[in-house]
Amino acid sequence: MLFKENIARIVFLSASILSAVATLLILGFMILLSLPVLETGMIWGILTDPWSPDHGRFGILAMIVGTVYISSFSLLISFPISLGCSFFIQIIHPDSPGRFLKLLVQLMTAIPTVIYGFVGVFLLVPIVRKVFSYGSGMSILSASLMLAILISPTMILFFSQSFARVPKRFLDATEALGATSFQKLFYVILPNAWTGVFTGLVLAFGRAMGDTLIALMISGNSVVLPSSILDSARTLTAHIAMIIAADFDSIEFKTIFICGGVLYIMTSCGILLARFSVKKRVR
Amino acid sequence: MFSWCCALLLATGFMFIVGFLVVKGYRGINLELIFADTRLLDAFFLKRQVFGGLFPAIIGTLSLILLSIGFALPLGLASGIFLAEYASPRLKSFFSLMVDILAGIPSIVVGLFGFSITIFLHHFFSSQIFPCLLISALSLAFLILPYIIKTTQVAIESLPLQVRLTAPSLGATKLENIIFVLLPSALSDIVSGIVLAIGRCAEDTAVIMLTGVVATAGVPRSVFSNFEALPFYIYYIASEYSNSSELMKGYGAALILLLISAGLFALAHWIKLKIEQKTRFGY
Amino acid sequence: MENNIKIQIRNLWFYYKTISMLEGINVDFPENTITSITGPSGQGKSSFLMTMNRLWQCIDGASVKGEVKINFGNGFEDINHQKYPLPMLRRKVGMVFQTPNPLPMSIFKNIAFPFKLIGEKNQNKTFEKVEYALKKAFLWQEVKNRLTEDAGVLSGGQQQRLCIARALVLEPQVLLLDEPTSSLDEISAEMIEQLLLKLKKKCTIILVSHYMDQVKRIADTKFILSNRQLTLQEE
Ligand SMILES: Nc1ncnc2c1ncn2[C@@H]1O[C@H](COP(=O)(O)OP(=O)(O)OP(=O)(O)O)[C@@H](O)[C@H]1O
Ligand SMILES: [Mg+2]
Repeated sequence: MLFKENIARIVFLSASILSAVATLLILGFMILLSLPVLETGMIWGILTDPWSPDHGRFGILAMIVGTVYISSFSLLISFPISLGCSFFIQIIHPDSPGRFLKLLVQLMTAIPTVIYGFVGVFLLVPIVRKVFSYGSGMSILSASLMLAILISPTMILFFSQSFARVPKRFLDATEALGATSFQKLFYVILPNAWTGVFTGLVLAFGRAMGDTLIALMISGNSVVLPSSILDSARTLTAHIAMIIAADFDSIEFKTIFICGGVLYIMTSCGILLARFSVKKRVR
Repeated sequence: MFSWCCALLLATGFMFIVGFLVVKGYRGINLELIFADTRLLDAFFLKRQVFGGLFPAIIGTLSLILLSIGFALPLGLASGIFLAEYASPRLKSFFSLMVDILAGIPSIVVGLFGFSITIFLHHFFSSQIFPCLLISALSLAFLILPYIIKTTQVAIESLPLQVRLTAPSLGATKLENIIFVLLPSALSDIVSGIVLAIGRCAEDTAVIMLTGVVATAGVPRSVFSNFEALPFYIYYIASEYSNSSELMKGYGAALILLLISAGLFALAHWIKLKIEQKTRFGY
Repeated sequence: MENNIKIQIRNLWFYYKTISMLEGINVDFPENTITSITGPSGQGKSSFLMTMNRLWQCIDGASVKGEVKINFGNGFEDINHQKYPLPMLRRKVGMVFQTPNPLPMSIFKNIAFPFKLIGEKNQNKTFEKVEYALKKAFLWQEVKNRLTEDAGVLSGGQQQRLCIARALVLEPQVLLLDEPTSSLDEISAEMIEQLLLKLKKKCTIILVSHYMDQVKRIADTKFILSNRQLTLQEE
């Protein structure tokens, strides 16, 4: 009897250890495989140089900038929309329109990214091209717009969760004072739910950064530092997807592990940040 | 007012995406899309390879789902149980940090990890090992593992104290309590989590792109062969289509994938509703 | 006639985290009697019951100091001793919770669950015992044709009787009852009271109740739990 209990405990424990090890192993592999490049002392060059393999320069700066550009821009677009939607769901219409919207948002989380990419290529890109009559339409703008749609469900669900935790009496009190909805949002809800909003933002940023397909399909993938939002750009994720076909032994190939490492570290920092702010709220 | 606009904006965005696919794609959906000119029975019994249809891609996606769920489920359940029932607070916060980080890692990095493992095995074990179905499934398993762990853990932890105490009060050991009471009580939650994880497997493109998916491979012969998959097919068509009939197939495939995802979502939702009904009468 | 002491509690402290719920309880419960515990809500009656089958161990943050000794026939044994086998203890000390807690399985399996735990393979014997226990708890008539249905569909009162039957099925020596008649009508409650009076010939019963008349009718000794202390209630 006791024997069985102990076996079970050990099995469960080792499963958890295995999962934790997997997490660390991924980081380990990224570092291990980028070591050959790091050892040559090229790390500074890689982080700051332009990308032109023909001239022996393998800098991923443009990709880092592209990643940050595209994700920040998509966040910029989707943040107000998400805020509005969660306000709609939680405060203005908690009854059927809100529930319907919530269901829709949940459904949106289930849509495959490749579908967003596909629709982006054949619907959004031509529109952007026509409207701005500039370039191919494959641009930071198109990618950010599509990404904004991709990440807003994450944000909306998270925001409305944290809105729901704002004590009802605060709302009733402001209601009694005759506050408009806008005032309610800015003076009552946001001050009370800002940690939740912040966490949602961080998580959404991670998600935007980690997405490959949309960026790969509709951001144009040019390796030049972008100068306007109508320029095309390449993200770290898309870069990995494109270079993977290169020769195993080339430096080119090895740099993608640095990209992977950078992505890993950026997203983990996001997670740590989010957890930290959640902890703070609990206190 | 503002939030009405946001809600409408989001809803129209969604409508555009779905509507666009439906309008463009519905004509493309027919048996020929899936089986090309092969006879149905031949295709099912693998007598003849289907060329030019989506059948191999669907089978590929299906086997991918089965395999990766097969890997991730036992591991995820066991770790979820450990985190919920056995771990001390310290261990718990460490492991759940690991799980959160794993959940935050971009899928392309997970794919890169799978790829590097392949290189590793190729170098040190057998030069017969190449990116293949098995590697893809393993990497995907890492991708969905955190979801399964989290849903299991949360489902078990959110059971009311009374339910947890019942079996021990009758002389059940911890393990018996878990097997006979806690898991069955949390089952529906866990199952709907698994369904969502299946959705992730079905949609993910970045991971398999790096670990063995190809545009034409036919139905996979073994776990060590290359394979096709629906999402990759869609990506491939979007970037490399050469004529309008191929493009049509792309639309069809996108619509099918969308339907599959929506179906899985509906299934998960239905299971959720089911439990809510049950708990209302039950405990 | 003086009964033998069954449960002997010495200097018992109970804590949730750092908040003490019981402070230095000393009490003896004699064999073959019904002891009632009443008192205001939230004073720790349910928690006190859990010290007698060590169920508090399953609750995060709960801790106990002091001695709880029970005589199961081989002299007094300290059940708070680390090595004391818990499953054994809980088979001999049955418990009925304050709110009905059917397990997520059929009616029959609910009652047969303790048998499953002790590894009883004999189906006929199990069935006999289940029927016997259900009859004792006055539930047999109502459920004999629906034994395979999920226990969750029973009404609150039926579930409560189900839980009583489940606690009886292993014939425990000590019964801890936490408001066992709280969702029963007067007639059913009285039938349960009759049952308890019959049962006390074989076991020691600790009854937590809010109903003063009920306590008056059946309890041999009456205690009040308040201000973290157990005090004997004078007639
Ligand atoms: N799991 C727990 N964690 C922390 N505190 C708890 C827990 N369970 C109960 N308490 C607290 O311990 C106190 C005693 O609870 P208990 O359930 O023993 O009261 P009771 O006397 O049975 O009340 P009632 O008559 O309402 O059933 C309560 O104040 C309650 O808030
Ligand atoms: Mg109580």
